Amino acid sequence: MRIALAHFKEQTLRHLRSPGYLLPTLAMPGLFYFLFEGPDTEPALVTLLMASYAMWAILGVAFFQFGSGIAEERATPWERFLRTLPLSGIQRLAGRVLSAALFAAVAAAVVIVEAHLINPVSVAADRWLPWLGALLAGGVVLAVGGIAVGYWASPRAATPLATLAWLLLAYLGGLWATPAELPSWAAEVSRYLPTRMWGEVTWAAVQGQATSLGDWLGLVAYAAGFAVLALWGYRRDEGASYR
Amino acid sequence: MTDAAVGAQAVAELRGVHKRYGEVEALRGVDLDIQPGELVALLGPNGAGKTTAVSILLGQRRPDAGSALLFGRDPTLPATRRLAGATPQMAGFPDNLTVAEVVDFVRVHYPDPAATPELLGRFGLAELAGRRAGGLSGGQQRRLAVALAFAGRPRLVVLDEPTTGLDVEARRGLWEVLRAFVADGGAVLLTTHYLEEAQALASHVVVLADGQVVAHGSVEDITTRAGLSPGHLRVPSPPGLEEAILRLTGGR
Repeated sequence: MRIALAHFKEQTLRHLRSPGYLLPTLAMPGLFYFLFEGPDTEPALVTLLMASYAMWAILGVAFFQFGSGIAEERATPWERFLRTLPLSGIQRLAGRVLSAALFAAVAAAVVIVEAHLINPVSVAADRWLPWLGALLAGGVVLAVGGIAVGYWASPRAATPLATLAWLLLAYLGGLWATPAELPSWAAEVSRYLPTRMWGEVTWAAVQGQATSLGDWLGLVAYAAGFAVLALWGYRRDEGASYR
Repeated sequence: MTDAAVGAQAVAELRGVHKRYGEVEALRGVDLDIQPGELVALLGPNGAGKTTAVSILLGQRRPDAGSALLFGRDPTLPATRRLAGATPQMAGFPDNLTVAEVVDFVRVHYPDPAATPELLGRFGLAELAGRRAGGLSGGQQRRLAVALAFAGRPRLVVLDEPTTGLDVEARRGLWEVLRAFVADGGAVLLTTHYLEEAQALASHVVVLADGQVVAHGSVEDITTRAGLSPGHLRVPSPPGLEEAILRLTGGR
């Protein structure tokens, strides 16, 4: 536990001191929410979009801290050195997950607090728990996706790839506006994307509507697929790191 | 390195280790022993298998055949490595952590680590404690790398090219630290390109070429076997070593 906490601290300090990481995760979602949605007067809409931009913020942590972070670190002498320490892979992963969880919570909180300050958002008291639960569940699915990107993308390609996926999945998932505003071709693609499924369950939760089983099953399928890719990539990388 | 010295006391040992990467046979039956109070220099040209041998000894890789033991146990288990310390192969530290933060981070992994100020002082890093590790000069990074190997009060340190890029004073300072450590019963495995360094420090030299041990023994044994006069040893430059290795390996 002591060791996992040291890795949590190492990861957190490194990311905290990296403007290239803080910009897309902590700054951009809040900024874009302001540019596109606020201040506005329609409570239902601004509340939905608060949920959407919080998801986008968490998506950034999933793709940049896990995706680019793992890809850039895994080939470095530092990462090889860590494997000579009395350290297990689980402790390293635990530190990384804890740190990402902290950043994800802060990134989402930035959007949520901002939305409450500038807009007439309203979430019923009994909707908070389901809503935050939906945020967390989808965040875990996309984080596993980020880990898969981290082990498959080359260190040079990872950041551009993560950026592209982060933008496309947000737009096509209907997180920037509402799915109803997507052009018809995008609306068609949207239905099959994990961000859209995540959006559907989160929007339903925040509005107090029933979530659909299909969306949950889709998220579980994505989680399983990402997990297989991540494990496969991890094994492949372990074999290749020391050549 | 004699058979009589082989036993349960060995700090580290490789027995008949083979390792293949696809088409390339990196190691072809390598034996290696390190006893307490011994400094073993592992020499050989690039691609000889030094890095692979070290990575197997530290449990980063598993041998295809043969066995590796660290303090009599499996080196791939993290707990086995609590009494060992190693340097990063090339100095490469997280850019945006300070020297003291890097040292503290590494110390946490060990049950009875050395104190940070003591470590920093011992390797001439005290004044750099607050500097970003990524902004250090080559020599400073090298000193930090060696300090990290000593962070856990190890009984075995594995140093990869520890003095490359160090000025004469820093190199001599490091030699003193290593001599004191060995005199205290510590064991060192050192890879180096400097024959002068092996001569100054090593109780045993192991020459690796093409994945095999082509010679082992004291520095004198090695050079005698290579047909070089002891005078060659006084040449503190890589060509002296290259010549000995080329002769021993028949230019392979």
